[in-house]
Amino acid sequence: MKRIFLSSIVSLMALQSFGQKEIKFVEYDLDNGIHVILHEEHATPIVAVSVLYHVGSKNENPDRTGFAHFFEHLLFEGTTNIERGEYDKLVESNGGTLNANTSQDRTYYYEILPSNQTELGIWLESERMLHAKVDNVGIETQRSVVKEEKRQRVDNQPYASFFTEMFSRMFTEHPYNWVPIGSMEHLDAAQEADYVNFYRTFYVPANATVSIAGDIDIEETKKWVAKYFGSIPKGQAINMYRDWELLDDAAFEAKYGVKRTAFDGTNFLKPKDKAAAAKLKELQNTPIEIPRPKKATEQLSGVIKDTIYDNIQLPGIFMGYRLPEQTHPDMYALQMMNDVLSGGASSRINKNLVEKQQIATFAFSFSYGLEDAGIGMFAAIAAKDRSLDSIQMAFDAEIEKMKNELITEEEFQKIRNQYENQFVSSNASVAGIAENLADNHVYSGGANKINTELANYMKVTREDIQRVAQKYLTQDKRIILLYLPKEGQQ
Amino acid sequence: MKKLIIALSIVPCFVYGQLDRSVRPSAGPAKTINIKDSEVYKTSNGITVILSENHKLPRVTFEVVVGSNPKMEGELAGLSDIAGSLITAGTTNRSKDEIDATIDYIGANLSADDNSIRLSCLTKHMSKGLDIMSDVLLNANFPQNEVDRVIKQNESGLLSAKSDAGTMANNAVSKVNFPNHPYGEIMTEASLANINRGMLEGFYKQTFTPEGSYLVVVGDIDMETLKPIVEQYFGSWKGGQPYKAELTSKNTNSGNRVFFVNKPGAVQSVIQVTFPIDIKAGHPDYLKLNVLNQVLGGGGFGSRLMQNLREDKAYTYGCYSRLNVTENGSWINAGGNFRNAVTDSAITQILYEFDRIIKSEVTQDELDLIKSSMAGSFSRSLESPSTVARFALSIIRNNLPKDYYQTYLQKLAAISKQDILDVAKKYLTANKLNIVVVGNEEVIEKLKPFDADGKIEKLDAFGNPVKERMAADISADELLESYVNAIMPDMNAKMRAKTLKKIKSVEEVYEFTMPQMPFPMTSTRVWISPNTTGSKLEAQGMTFQKEYVGATEGKSTNMQTGSEMYSAEKLAAKHKSVGIIPEMNYKTSGMQYELLGIEEVDGKLCYVLKLNDGESESFEYFEKGTFMKVMTLSIQTNGEESSESRITYSKYTNHNGILFPDAMQIAMGQATLSGKLKSRSFNTKIDIESFK
Repeated sequence: MKRIFLSSIVSLMALQSFGQKEIKFVEYDLDNGIHVILHEEHATPIVAVSVLYHVGSKNENPDRTGFAHFFEHLLFEGTTNIERGEYDKLVESNGGTLNANTSQDRTYYYEILPSNQTELGIWLESERMLHAKVDNVGIETQRSVVKEEKRQRVDNQPYASFFTEMFSRMFTEHPYNWVPIGSMEHLDAAQEADYVNFYRTFYVPANATVSIAGDIDIEETKKWVAKYFGSIPKGQAINMYRDWELLDDAAFEAKYGVKRTAFDGTNFLKPKDKAAAAKLKELQNTPIEIPRPKKATEQLSGVIKDTIYDNIQLPGIFMGYRLPEQTHPDMYALQMMNDVLSGGASSRINKNLVEKQQIATFAFSFSYGLEDAGIGMFAAIAAKDRSLDSIQMAFDAEIEKMKNELITEEEFQKIRNQYENQFVSSNASVAGIAENLADNHVYSGGANKINTELANYMKVTREDIQRVAQKYLTQDKRIILLYLPKEGQQ
Repeated sequence: MKKLIIALSIVPCFVYGQLDRSVRPSAGPAKTINIKDSEVYKTSNGITVILSENHKLPRVTFEVVVGSNPKMEGELAGLSDIAGSLITAGTTNRSKDEIDATIDYIGANLSADDNSIRLSCLTKHMSKGLDIMSDVLLNANFPQNEVDRVIKQNESGLLSAKSDAGTMANNAVSKVNFPNHPYGEIMTEASLANINRGMLEGFYKQTFTPEGSYLVVVGDIDMETLKPIVEQYFGSWKGGQPYKAELTSKNTNSGNRVFFVNKPGAVQSVIQVTFPIDIKAGHPDYLKLNVLNQVLGGGGFGSRLMQNLREDKAYTYGCYSRLNVTENGSWINAGGNFRNAVTDSAITQILYEFDRIIKSEVTQDELDLIKSSMAGSFSRSLESPSTVARFALSIIRNNLPKDYYQTYLQKLAAISKQDILDVAKKYLTANKLNIVVVGNEEVIEKLKPFDADGKIEKLDAFGNPVKERMAADISADELLESYVNAIMPDMNAKMRAKTLKKIKSVEEVYEFTMPQMPFPMTSTRVWISPNTTGSKLEAQGMTFQKEYVGATEGKSTNMQTGSEMYSAEKLAAKHKSVGIIPEMNYKTSGMQYELLGIEEVDGKLCYVLKLNDGESESFEYFEKGTFMKVMTLSIQTNGEESSESRITYSKYTNHNGILFPDAMQIAMGQATLSGKLKSRSFNTKIDIESFK
């Protein structure tokens, strides 16, 4: 099973999505703070059950980077009621499929099941939230898996470090300074207690959005959600429950001052004695503080130009510009500007740099919007015997043109057509809808954005595109990374 | 607690009692699928229009499927495939570039094959899309340059097919299951060479005819809107009657037959146990047969073939079965790749599993697991509009009940162990099987017991019977001598020695191209007297791989996997084939060589010389009569995996008194590279360091 480490450019497309037809849904909060979004449609007898945890690499401690992504792996290890290795099998033998991914801002888990297994999916995800196995056996197994993943996806991929290099220079204060894969040394240095602590801070109801889409009956689904998710203790009480499972009687009493035997695992919220009930109530009313960084405020003050030596044959160039956070209104025009530059074979960068001038074997630009800030990038791999200078000049010419002239009517219409097609297609599957609803709720100011975002793109004018080019493509404030072959390193 | 209760009553939640989390939720009842009934009507020019409305997304798909049955192609085998891949490559009104540009502009998809054309796009771009679709349907004109391009692609494909054991096995399976049936016709180099533009156009005009065709429309459109659109874009479509033939598939074997395809040097045998079955798409038994196949070997890890041959016996990495049911013919095949030593044991176990499933019921656990995983993947597949379109068409074409797919899950759930046993007895013809083996000649003796009459039938890479190899009329040393005389013509032994003595180094540069690759690759090979060689493969300024072999050390470097210093054994092996003409040194270099006999290769009789340098095997083919080398087949073995490369030589040209091939073709795996000589220089300064 592949759990995708969400750093690919493709994922940008999935961050926000819109449909022309209205996507109907209901949403509400459980008492323990879980936000629930349900979308009912009977076209296909399947259901997507997902949980979005509002935790990503930006919530990590600077000396424990890679934790969020590591947890994505760890949380397939099983739970109190699910044996190690059984999680995947339970889904597959019931006709389903599952996966998960992690970004700077979120960790996302989902199952796609036949709809008559909706309850199973809800139980599986609630088990993961309440009492996943976070212990040394799983930690050891997943450490080697994650290291293998880093070797495959980052270390052995030519140029792949550009992501890390770009973010570390762009964000000197904000935790976007590091990327989700993080540091293997940090993961090695971490103790079981560090992992348990991370689970107890971020994998809690108030930090979760449950999004279920597909062939469901809303009322029945609400019952199952209440049964499995609603019974998860609120506030710090969830960690009391976790301790109740892990600690012996004496240790439990020493920690909480009430008898462990006063509780019953099948009815934890109704303890047998008053002291226990009072302690439980107290902890239920003690919220868990979830550390979140402030929006990134640092700005570039000049041009940072660095050379990086890598196991490559052809030199490469990566230019980065500081963009606003993903919810900023300018992001619509910035995204569309990028499509003119780099959306498909007939786009400007491909036509001019790759096909006509033939100075690059591969060239593109993209904008990456995150919760607290964004980055716009231009990237190219040089053609044989062509200099990075010539590519930078060609990129700069494209940037100047974008700033000085309106894009053509035909380009404008083509990107509008392509956008519309893309957005419509992104809501073709219930899995896509569940994800888009959850994402929009957490990051874009409301699940209903799924229905309104396309209109925001369609409002963008050619003049807007020119304006954002002038505003954000600041030639005197940018990062230029030159990638050169290690062999030629002096 | 008060707060919680209040909260629960505000939020639409439900109060529950005790919850035992260790109790796993059980599945609800299987659901019916909500596929809207499709609407059907027939146009005046003979098209059956099937509309499956689905307004979930503002998208629409149009697919034309023509009503002809597959036709025997004989000397033109492959004609329909080639024609299909050229339908969107130009019309009397538009070039391929214009078609591509318009489709991109509206963000649509357009594709075609030998009996269908498919368009999908946003509803609002429908008319632009249909404009193009009806143009290719009515006016495809097969531009000569596009025909040339596709034929070239297929030539490369056929070359790689000859070294791909899987393709060879599939070709044999088609041939042996379907004699005198279009499914049993396989494109060869000879049949491809017979195909021209006129024939392609002829095929297209005869096949793409409205009478008996279907237009399947799925998505965001209603009947009222659709009817005038069909008239506008498809109303003027004219043509003759579709080709009709009653095609059947029946097992006519009286006992097991073994077919063998020789793959020199193979370390694994590809085994396919296969037989045609008498069932057509839409038959009520199909679903039961499908469940049976999943239990037998179609259902991944848990299925019987995998459990027995991989998990229990460790004969293979994977052993699978496949059920193929179509409107024109159906078959089952089961097998995988097995190392040479267990080829016979593997066949024994596959036959045992066929026997077992015919003789006794499957277990309830097996049945339950397969049914739920099938139900799940069926349900998930329905999200794709193309699946729904396929179902709508299948209902009409195969006269299925209207609710066939609607009630698929219930029908699946109702299948019993007895049902599986019944279809096993009805369709699986034990002891009348075709056993296809592609592999090394050394396994052939062990195959005889499986054949009812003990006579193994030998086939070539395309499934055609091969002539038996003949005994050679000369010795291996005589062959090598004749070869050297042939490439250094008009010289006596003394002159030859003198000519060779003068050559201290050779550098040859070939440029290789591949249809799938936009840029050429450069291969450089050097030899420096007496035994230093180097080679390099470069493209776009990158060196993909290089090799250096000197007197005392050898090294190879690969862009992806890095460098490897050669062991003493490997270096010694490399030294066995060094020299301007390595064949001259075989006698003294320690190379093991054996003349196997005379075989027919691409219509030419060739001597086959088997070589072994202690590390790997190769086979050299010298044309009888001329003694020129026409092909080298090299086998690389890595544990149980082996890969081969096949180099064919042509355009022998005289350089410094010696005939060298100025053109060659290399087939490796799926790739075929065509090489042309760029330069061959003698006694120039060579920078041997650059190969290290």
